[in-house]
Amino acid sequence: MQIRNLSEPRPRRRAGAPLLTAVASGKGGVGKTWFSVTLAQTLARAAQRVLLFDGDLGLANVDIQLGLNPGYDLGSVLSGKVSMPDAVQRCVPGGFDVLAGRSGSGALASLGTDAVDQMLAGLARMPYDHVLLDLSAGLDPATQRMAAGADILLVIATDEPTSLTDAYAVIKLHAAAVPDGEVRLVINQAASDTAGHRTYATLARACTQFLGRTPVLAGIVRRDDKVRDAIRRQMPLLSRHPASIAGADVARIAGNLSSL
Amino acid sequence: MRLRLFRAGSMPAALAQARAELGDEALILSSRRVGGGVEVTAALEHEPEPYRAPEPEIPPRATDLAVLNWHGVPAPIAERLGQGPLAQTLANLLRFGELPLGAACQPLLLTGPPGAGKTLTTARLATRLVLGGVAPLVITADGRRAGAAEELAAYTRLLGISLVVASHPATLVRALQHRPAAAPVLIDTAGIDPFDSGQMEAITALIATASALPIMVLPAGYDPMESAEQAAAFAAVGVRHFIPTRLDLARRLGSVVAAAIAGSMTLSEAGTGAGATDGLTPLTAEFLAGRLSRRPVPRPRKVPDANSKFV
Repeated sequence: MQIRNLSEPRPRRRAGAPLLTAVASGKGGVGKTWFSVTLAQTLARAAQRVLLFDGDLGLANVDIQLGLNPGYDLGSVLSGKVSMPDAVQRCVPGGFDVLAGRSGSGALASLGTDAVDQMLAGLARMPYDHVLLDLSAGLDPATQRMAAGADILLVIATDEPTSLTDAYAVIKLHAAAVPDGEVRLVINQAASDTAGHRTYATLARACTQFLGRTPVLAGIVRRDDKVRDAIRRQMPLLSRHPASIAGADVARIAGNLSSL
Repeated sequence: MRLRLFRAGSMPAALAQARAELGDEALILSSRRVGGGVEVTAALEHEPEPYRAPEPEIPPRATDLAVLNWHGVPAPIAERLGQGPLAQTLANLLRFGELPLGAACQPLLLTGPPGAGKTLTTARLATRLVLGGVAPLVITADGRRAGAAEELAAYTRLLGISLVVASHPATLVRALQHRPAAAPVLIDTAGIDPFDSGQMEAITALIATASALPIMVLPAGYDPMESAEQAAAFAAVGVRHFIPTRLDLARRLGSVVAAAIAGSMTLSEAGTGAGATDGLTPLTAEFLAGRLSRRPVPRPRKVPDANSKFV
């Protein structure tokens, strides 16, 4: 097991290792899990090998959103019952793999940093191009550690003041743990492209002024009723609605990520 | 970060609201026109630092100055030693290191006042080398004290190594010329008075003749000022190493610290026992800190029996 001192310079990603992208929001209900699932599906459609890891250790819900019934989950891996590759489940309509978290188990939410590091190291050895970590809302230490251990942190925010404040808190804590970390902002549920850019500018300005660093804009995802429809039917967006505004927006973000 | 939205009929009015609410340090993040006015988003970074689990660290324990005082550590030194954990301040203030005992190293020459334990220390170093599979060349330059050579010979005989008696510098040179390849050399010398310039000149000549690394051997438990001055005198002729002895008998170690500092000498070993095999202990900052941070519990005095009669 390798434990990296997070105050030290980040090691370069091992050649052939998957790109670890963490998706965080601070506040819940801003479309983080939906975004992770759609990003996974978009990358998979671009012939990338994708593992979506449900890092929401307390209340995992990737499997619920996808209508999966996982036989094994993260809890099985951590308890040593199965190996990580054996716990992975295929999301057939999505074209990607899922490692489910465990819903409602408070014990996993308080996972120690050693266990988190071990888990991240395990994920980095998996045979994928992309591993997406759908992190839980909130700022518990395990979540912070996962964000710090990822190659890229995508922070999802909407234009609501609570979302902006919580997204800012995520970025602030991440900046303290990983001063040279790569943080990008996704503005979700934007009324328009212009409105989305304004929201980005608002949050970016706060980061520049208060933290001395400006997160890059990963992209704007416009509000789209088809998203809600897909979630209600427990289907990935692109399977339910192959063409949609939000889908096109996520595709742009995915294009930037896969070029890394 | 505290984030607030302010709406007013005009920009100045919205800004005034923001300042009134958040103060002059409020940062205007954005503004936009809304129906019938302006909306301003302002923020204030006022949060305390985010909570982070405290690093598990041993709190620096203040060194008990009273104990250092009991040991007789001179006050100015005690004060500096008391500024942190003792092992750390000792390591900062004193020098610790290993004796260069290798084959190709300079001969080690032990010097010091009479009765300091030079001969026993020589025997212990020789024992350590022999037990480590290396046969050293042992030389005694002590031609003055009756029985000095015999004392050392008793040890070298047991160790199965030869002892060279070199009472004159010329003999010493000859002995060193016949030094077996790869043999470390230990030279025992006669005790001297470091304040006697004649004796100091003689030892200086001996050191130069042997191209030796001189080591001061000084017993613990003596007056710290006296020891410090002796160390300074030895340092003046180039002595840079110090082996304190009798650490098993002396309770107060202030003189060891005082001498090491006065002579800027490196501490490597300490005499801690009577035996030849186990009488030397590597002298580290931790070891010294352990000894300096305790004082022995005084033995209970015998209470005179009320019925006893004074004779």
